Amino acid sequence: MVLLRLFLIFAKIGLLGFGGGYSIITMIQKELMAIGWITAEEFANIAAISQMTPGPIAVNAATYVGYRVGGFWGSALATFGVSLPSFVLVILAAHFILKFKESKTLEACMRGIRPVTIALIASAFIFFAFESFVDLTMPLYISPGAFAIFVMAILASIAIKMDTILIIILSAVLGLIIL
Amino acid sequence: MKKNKAKVLWDLFFTFFKIGALTIGGGLAMLPIIEKEIVDKKGYIGKEEIVDAFAVSQSLPGVIAINSAIYVGYRIAGFIGALVTAFGVVLPSFIIILLIAVLFSTVSGNPVIDKALTGAKAGIAGVIATAVVRLGKRVIKDIFASVLAVAAFVMALFLEINIALIILLGALSGLIFYRLRRLKKNGSA
Repeated sequence: MVLLRLFLIFAKIGLLGFGGGYSIITMIQKELMAIGWITAEEFANIAAISQMTPGPIAVNAATYVGYRVGGFWGSALATFGVSLPSFVLVILAAHFILKFKESKTLEACMRGIRPVTIALIASAFIFFAFESFVDLTMPLYISPGAFAIFVMAILASIAIKMDTILIIILSAVLGLIIL
Repeated sequence: MKKNKAKVLWDLFFTFFKIGALTIGGGLAMLPIIEKEIVDKKGYIGKEEIVDAFAVSQSLPGVIAINSAIYVGYRIAGFIGALVTAFGVVLPSFIIILLIAVLFSTVSGNPVIDKALTGAKAGIAGVIATAVVRLGKRVIKDIFASVLAVAAFVMALFLEINIALIILLGALSGLIFYRLRRLKKNGSA
């Protein structure tokens, strides 16, 4: 029963998860925390690891969460579930590529969906902020060390356009040293 | 002919397996590598078609890397091709993450690991903050889009409304605002 539910949740995420990894991560987090299958801290750790290992972030997160909830078969079904809708949708789109590219109706829907994906990515930011430098148990308290890493990551990304993975790995090393 | 097809399938599998195993940073980081391997090196499909493949992969829901693997695999070798490329691109993640999941349960709670993870999470918060600004500038170009983004943010964060529902509401608002309004305008003109 847990396995079937896991599969259906990830199929739903595959079917409606627009906007790529960061946006999908918010969806996985909300779905699984609502059921109580995973805590915020555990999910944040999973998402952090997912970004430091090879492969698509959403697949990594699905595999890990699936394993935590239902062992090997849980991870297999979560990954299968998140991929299944893509088979149907992508093959349809490949067949009707001209219609797909020129459809005004589809484009109108996408113009409504894109701002929502920005909001989901912003939610992912809030989530990681609360899991690193903002402490909910102490109002207005911000962990100075973690906040410094956060600011440095922004600077590295904007000012010197450092590679994302390098930023995350350096942040982990800095965490080891100063936290 | 049959032998040839099997060879192409193996090649597709290994190419996507390699892409899955070697690219860190998710789907978007994979796209240039897919192009290099499939278009430049192997010449399986043309430059224009890979542009279509990437456009479709990014606008459809789902994992961008899986979407592009399926598109490319399907174009080259039909449904079996799509199965093979999707399986190939997912398999390395699956193996690596399973190993980590098994190992991590033994080290979680370790203070050293926790410090590194907290640092990584703070860094990710920074990376995502810049992504919000960068993508937001590209996507939010009119008042309607900004209202939609703020409304979706409030719904997701404070009202705890199901994300799938928020996405469907976004699609519906886009349809009404951009499509029906124009149809109405054209109809009355």
